[in-house]
Amino acid sequence: MLCKLALRNVRRSVRDYTLYFLTLFFGVCVFYVFNSLENQWVMRALMENSRNVDYAGAIVRLIDLVSVFVTAVLAFLILYANHFLLRRRKRELGLYLLLGMEQRQVAFLLFLETLVIGLAALAAGLVLGVLLAQVLAAFTASLFQVRVEEFTFLFSWQGVGKTALYFGGIFLLVMLFNSLTVARQRLIRLLESAKKNQELKLRSVRVSVVLFLLSLALLGAAYALLLRRGLLQVDRIFALMLVLGTLGTLFFFRSLSGFLLRLVQRHKRLYLRDLNLFVLRQFSARITTNYLSMTVVCLLLLLAIGITACSVGVNNTVEDNVDRDAPLDMTLRLEDYYCDFTPELFTQALSASGFPPEEHLESYAAVTRYMLSIPLTEPVEVGSQAYVLENILTYAMSLSDYNALLALQGAEPLTLEPGTYGIAWGTEEGDVLRELWAGGAAVTLGAGSYIPAPAAQREGAYCTSGIPLSPMLLLPDGVLETLDRETVVERFLYLAGNYRPQDRDGAEDALWGASDRLSDQLFQVSDSSGFGLLLNTRQDIYMETMGTKLLVLFLGLYLGIIFLVTSAAVLALQQLSQAADNLARYRILARLGADEKMRDRSSDIQVLLAFLLPLSLAVVHATVGMKAANDVIATVGHLDAVASTLTTALFILLVYGAYFLATCRGSRRIIRDL
Amino acid sequence: MEEPILRVTHLQKYYGVRGNVTRAIDDLSFSVRAGEFVGIMGASGSGKTTLLNCIATIDAVTAGEIFIDGQDITRLPRRALSRFRRERLGFVFQDCNLLDTLTGGENIALALTILRRPAGEIPRQVQETAALLGVSHCLDKYPYQMSGGERQRLAAARAIVTRPALVLADEPTGALDSKSARLLLERFEALNREQNSTILMVTHDAFTASYCRRILFIKDGKPFTELVRGNDSRRAFFTKIIEVVTLLGGDSGDVV
Repeated sequence: MLCKLALRNVRRSVRDYTLYFLTLFFGVCVFYVFNSLENQWVMRALMENSRNVDYAGAIVRLIDLVSVFVTAVLAFLILYANHFLLRRRKRELGLYLLLGMEQRQVAFLLFLETLVIGLAALAAGLVLGVLLAQVLAAFTASLFQVRVEEFTFLFSWQGVGKTALYFGGIFLLVMLFNSLTVARQRLIRLLESAKKNQELKLRSVRVSVVLFLLSLALLGAAYALLLRRGLLQVDRIFALMLVLGTLGTLFFFRSLSGFLLRLVQRHKRLYLRDLNLFVLRQFSARITTNYLSMTVVCLLLLLAIGITACSVGVNNTVEDNVDRDAPLDMTLRLEDYYCDFTPELFTQALSASGFPPEEHLESYAAVTRYMLSIPLTEPVEVGSQAYVLENILTYAMSLSDYNALLALQGAEPLTLEPGTYGIAWGTEEGDVLRELWAGGAAVTLGAGSYIPAPAAQREGAYCTSGIPLSPMLLLPDGVLETLDRETVVERFLYLAGNYRPQDRDGAEDALWGASDRLSDQLFQVSDSSGFGLLLNTRQDIYMETMGTKLLVLFLGLYLGIIFLVTSAAVLALQQLSQAADNLARYRILARLGADEKMRDRSSDIQVLLAFLLPLSLAVVHATVGMKAANDVIATVGHLDAVASTLTTALFILLVYGAYFLATCRGSRRIIRDL
Repeated sequence: MEEPILRVTHLQKYYGVRGNVTRAIDDLSFSVRAGEFVGIMGASGSGKTTLLNCIATIDAVTAGEIFIDGQDITRLPRRALSRFRRERLGFVFQDCNLLDTLTGGENIALALTILRRPAGEIPRQVQETAALLGVSHCLDKYPYQMSGGERQRLAAARAIVTRPALVLADEPTGALDSKSARLLLERFEALNREQNSTILMVTHDAFTASYCRRILFIKDGKPFTELVRGNDSRRAFFTKIIEVVTLLGGDSGDVV
């Protein structure tokens, strides 16, 4: 009997439940997509192929952690939606009690209704989630320029289980809340709840105008601070900027309605037309209770926009890094602190560990890089800062070694006249060497002195490296070998090469296997007291970049969408509960002869204002913020503004738009109930 | 003879389904001429509010016709009804009158903006009408800052500002103290006399009814009797009304 009633209630108030359902639905969907990540092929590729850091594990653990936070946010949201629903139905519940139903039974009735809705939303959300997971797979595949050979349908039981578990917890909470609400209610309260009206506060319009101008000033100051100082200087002034921005936003919403009212009242033609004066007055009366939530929603939207745009944008930036950092298939670096080794010994030890270079590598070079401590003949001032350097630490390599590395990349060799030096700039930005080079400083080494040869310089990586490569001097052959231990601080032996195309995977596996045994072999071929080993392969760097990229992208999208859903749902619920409060006013309007079209329009305008205002200000905030963020990101690459803006706009359109339409419809329906 | 403003012929309004029908109004006919101030009296449940709702186009009739200004409103389509309502009728109700978020002046102006009257004339019309009802001092106040009587007179101002063919008042004094009620009714009387407004007022209060020029009594949805004030003083008219009310309530006993 109760089951039948519950089902009928749900069917009858299916429109009332729309928002509740929508929120649950989006929540389940997003939650599943990001908690079934382990199943995605990119993640499996990442898991199998990254050797140094377990990025896949890191992503999964982070998503796990963030999911707890997301669950808390969603639980709060769903409780809020449920609260609104209960408020709408108080009279009905009162009637059940009046008819002699026990409170226990009413609570059970609500429990059944929640269960029906919850199961429906869970099922629908999972279906869409599974579909979206495929879309995400295709999207990530396109990001990594990988063609998926065959389409495999992704489905994660684990993801389904986790989603069901977490949302089951939320439902339990909702049910508990419902029972408590019913148990606490007095019958008379429930029956009379419709009569209670909200207290109305009206404030002076003049104050609003002043406050509005103040808010603009505050926002202007915050923007100026942000643009001038950038995003990265996190200090007291940064905090001040945040406070200014938040206060500015708060005052903006607090005063906007009054300001608008003032403005429109001046234009009698606009003000005294249709229901305009009603809409404006209504809006301005509401704002006293709404401005706080509008501020929160605006800031949430800002976070959503900022996070989504930046994560998608950074993603495109990182793309180019692999080609930049990994020109060769592999580079093995031996940091030789005490100059114990030679390239021959190094190669020999590697062969003995199970990776004979000539067998696995199509071409390779074993070269030496020196770290030198060079006395300067004349003190040099660096830039505007008046450092007087008398001694610099710098890297150096002989020309023929460097040319051997260039040959591996298929690049033209450099040449040096006797008595000159060249520079390989590497991938590190800004260095004392730039100043020296520009100033034409001579370098004295051993017996000889060398001046810059402007033609002999090259930008870019000279081998594959996961960390930025510092600039190094290029010196004629035979110079470096003769230097004393006073000048040579330490040496780096490099073994760099490219795999044979027919057996790349075999070579990669053999190399990583060998690198585990290499230390022991090195101790066997020498009596060295210390060295460091670093292996970087193109695949490894690729996976590393991909890992970072995925981490940023997934977390960004996850949080971005959740924030978006939260803000939209809060707005929607607020608008609907206000529409219910406005019912009596619309009844008066109907009696005055305002037809349904007029009333619907006035309701739509109010919903539109509530949705559009926080979004507009958030977009302005985000634009300024992105400008500042761009300057930061510009140091690593460039932010792909078009792609990130489009992606973000698409998400907003979908989620925010869905809520907006649902709210317009719901609101119209409520006020038609005259 | 001149066509009356309001002509109700053989009006029937039934509630409920076949086999269990309540006859709220059962074959009622009357008419109101332009410039009349007519009261409708009856015990609660006599069908007077139903009658008013039918005339106000808020409720649909079961049978019969209602002509307002020569137009049969029972045959108007729904969309035309809103239009008819805002152009030809003015309302004063016992409660739910003013919009609490608007000032007094704006409440009056709203009736005009819904009619899409030119914005230039609105402020002048609002002020003139407010002066007629003695609420000029309330134009910039919000409803919660006014007394009950002021609110009700403001509602009356809103009802007549559009120059409707017919003003409908449903227990306008129901929530007022006697002094405020008297003030409102005097204004109604003046409106009727000086502006030639046609007013149809539903009430169950004999004192309120005594301000009308003519009173229709209905009982159980049927016409009971009619009283015309003629040259009687208000006091004399009041006594007559009380007599009829006693007669009317003789068997039901629920006259207030």
